[in-house]
Amino acid sequence: MMVLRRKVGEAIRINDNIKIVVQEVQNGKVVRFGIEAPADIPVHRLEIFEQIQAENRAASSADALGWLKGDSHDSGTSHDE
Amino acid sequence: MIQAQVTMSSEQLNNHQSKPGQEFVFPQGIAGFPDATRFGFIYEGIGDMVCMQSIEQPDAAFVLTPWDVERLGQPPKLNVEQCKSLALKDASEVMWMLVLNPFADQEWVTANLKAPIALSESSRRGFQLIRPESEHELRFRWMPQPKRK
Repeated sequence: MMVLRRKVGEAIRINDNIKIVVQEVQNGKVVRFGIEAPADIPVHRLEIFEQIQAENRAASSADALGWLKGDSHDSGTSHDE
Repeated sequence: MIQAQVTMSSEQLNNHQSKPGQEFVFPQGIAGFPDATRFGFIYEGIGDMVCMQSIEQPDAAFVLTPWDVERLGQPPKLNVEQCKSLALKDASEVMWMLVLNPFADQEWVTANLKAPIALSESSRRGFQLIRPESEHELRFRWMPQPKRK
């Protein structure tokens, strides 16, 4: 992993189109970044993104259609909790 | 490789119908499946659920159901850049879907409220909106597991 030192107000440029600015360091623990990136480049907090990745993998199956076809269920239309 | 059969018809899907052979494009892929960018929709006449399956990567197949305003309130609002990514003229054109997880819980089919799917029928584009706020449940109990024959 590349490691760079930056002060508040300084920035990192990735490629031609992504800029990350260190905006603030709070109590020496929390860093606020400003991120400029094209709209088609998704930017997420890592832990949230990893949660969604894991849930998508858990929810996905080549057998999803088989489950939906209801070979083994009777209606699948009830939303009652 | 699956056919991009796109036919979603039920009352809750607003009798959405699309011509076979037309798929939805997810330019950013789906989290966990970055190479899956083209999806077909297959409706099997089971309530308001539909299968969304990647054309390039058939194991990326999901059960989706429409966002339910009565249960969940209004769906998320898209910002200008998100509207652009769907090539939308108007955010009201978006059809919101939830990814169901029928496999995680023996008693319940769960719905991912943290990352709903936005679809534009007019541009045939879609993306998964990731909502960082902690109040959105990853495994919301959506419906009991259907009874098995």
